[in-house]
Amino acid sequence: MDRPTENLTAQDPAWVDDVLLAGPATDICLRLPEAVDRGTLRQLVGDAQTRLAAAGLRPGGAAALRLPPSLAYVVNLLATWRSGAQAILLDHRLTDHEVDRALQRLTPQVVVAPVRTGGGALRIFVDVTEGVTAHSAQPAVSGHAVIQLSSGSTGPSKVIGRTAADLVAEVHRYTRIDGVALPGERIILLPSMVHVLGLVGGLLYGLHANVELVPPERLGGDAILAAIRAQDTPATVLGVPFHIGLLASTRADGPLPQLKRMTTGGELVPAATAQAFADRFGVPLGNMYGMTEVGVIGTDLYGRHRPSIMPAPGIEVREVGGELRVSCPASPYVGLSDPSRWADGWLHTRDAGTVDPATGLVTVKGRLDSQVSVGGLKVDLTEVEATLTGLPGVAAAVVVYDDGITAYVQPDGPLSEEVLEKLLAERLAGYKRPRTLHLVDQLPRTTTGKLVRAVPVLRAAAP
Amino acid sequence: MSGRPDLGRADLVSMLAELTAKPVDQVPHRVGSMELAWLVHLVEQRYDRRMDLTDDQLAGIRTVDDALAVFRTSLTSPADG
Repeated sequence: MDRPTENLTAQDPAWVDDVLLAGPATDICLRLPEAVDRGTLRQLVGDAQTRLAAAGLRPGGAAALRLPPSLAYVVNLLATWRSGAQAILLDHRLTDHEVDRALQRLTPQVVVAPVRTGGGALRIFVDVTEGVTAHSAQPAVSGHAVIQLSSGSTGPSKVIGRTAADLVAEVHRYTRIDGVALPGERIILLPSMVHVLGLVGGLLYGLHANVELVPPERLGGDAILAAIRAQDTPATVLGVPFHIGLLASTRADGPLPQLKRMTTGGELVPAATAQAFADRFGVPLGNMYGMTEVGVIGTDLYGRHRPSIMPAPGIEVREVGGELRVSCPASPYVGLSDPSRWADGWLHTRDAGTVDPATGLVTVKGRLDSQVSVGGLKVDLTEVEATLTGLPGVAAAVVVYDDGITAYVQPDGPLSEEVLEKLLAERLAGYKRPRTLHLVDQLPRTTTGKLVRAVPVLRAAAP
Repeated sequence: MSGRPDLGRADLVSMLAELTAKPVDQVPHRVGSMELAWLVHLVEQRYDRRMDLTDDQLAGIRTVDDALAVFRTSLTSPADG
């Protein structure tokens, strides 16, 4: 049913119907928990296209979506693409200041934002009534179908673009991975659909493969169990490691035959957590490795190779000088030419890792840029940071290399530098200790709660 | 509160210790969105009832003490209200 997709551009909207919205009108796409079938979704998308066009969206333009995960988000995203336009995804937790800066750089023709939200606390999917406002008359800054702002906790903020062809290729990649949810099954969707795992691994793959998407009624262990139990069909829970604990801490109250697998991305799962999950549920706990720039890179959906993963079909991973590099035909960065991030068809992940030449298995070993050399001795800043974070009186800490090892520490009550230094001296060799210690009231964090590691931001936090 | 002992600060701290794998005396007093979801989940499980919290209530919680105040208010309101 798919047409050749290698030359797709954002201005050729046929891919939305061909790859995402094809299929019988009565198929259920989403359960919120009320069922939304494909026919209804197509109707809603058509209506939204009319509203977007009335507000000024034209083929070749861009729409900024500042929406929480919601039916409105899904509908406006598909409507933007079906209008031949680019979707700029703005996490709804971004501040006005951050959004204003993004809008200045990315010149959308329209901005879609909530005029009313409802549904109560801890909702995974929100009831949204959206409004569309005109913003500029300029075309999109690139031919990408989707623009995402870097949510990484390292390096400068990046604008990442992906073409329609690249998104379609990733959807097809999922269909070739053993262990993903199958047609007629369900994905219990926990990650945000604004970010790559929930967006492509959840929403786009689900629409393409006729897998029902089921966000639990809210973020809680019992709500996840209720979502799994709500239908008889097999269910795959998609989440991040935090969700494993949430699910594993529920009371065992009967069998859960629908649960087929849980798959998490984002970070490595400690072996003890994986074992606790296996003991409780007796189904595989899968692991995925991916990046906003390229989507899913590799998987271990049966938990057989932990902590390693096997590259996804069509993805090449190689190790160069201890860094993992991933095949990526074009630079995903908008307005940035940095050969240390992308060059000659390879994305430099800045993740340290190895590729086993015999099996092809990839092992990710943390950020490459956390290791520094002090007087010829290698120091992993992660170790320094973990030591600091584990000290009594420390709520959080970030350790960077800024002309020497520099620590920014957020105390959790009264704490003096003298006490901190004394405690550190008991735990770390002298060459590993921070040369500069800054005590700050609040460490800077991204909208998703990750600690910010960019030196200028940290310096500003500790004037 | 359903005949169970009142929710105390130490209860929340020990719940957070479970999440962060830290000793209770090293659990941060500040809580983020994930810690809050975790606390709501465990408190509801303990009292076997749902706390119908609003976004505004949750947004106002910055510390363990804030959470305790909001949870206690919710738990002492009529269960069917």
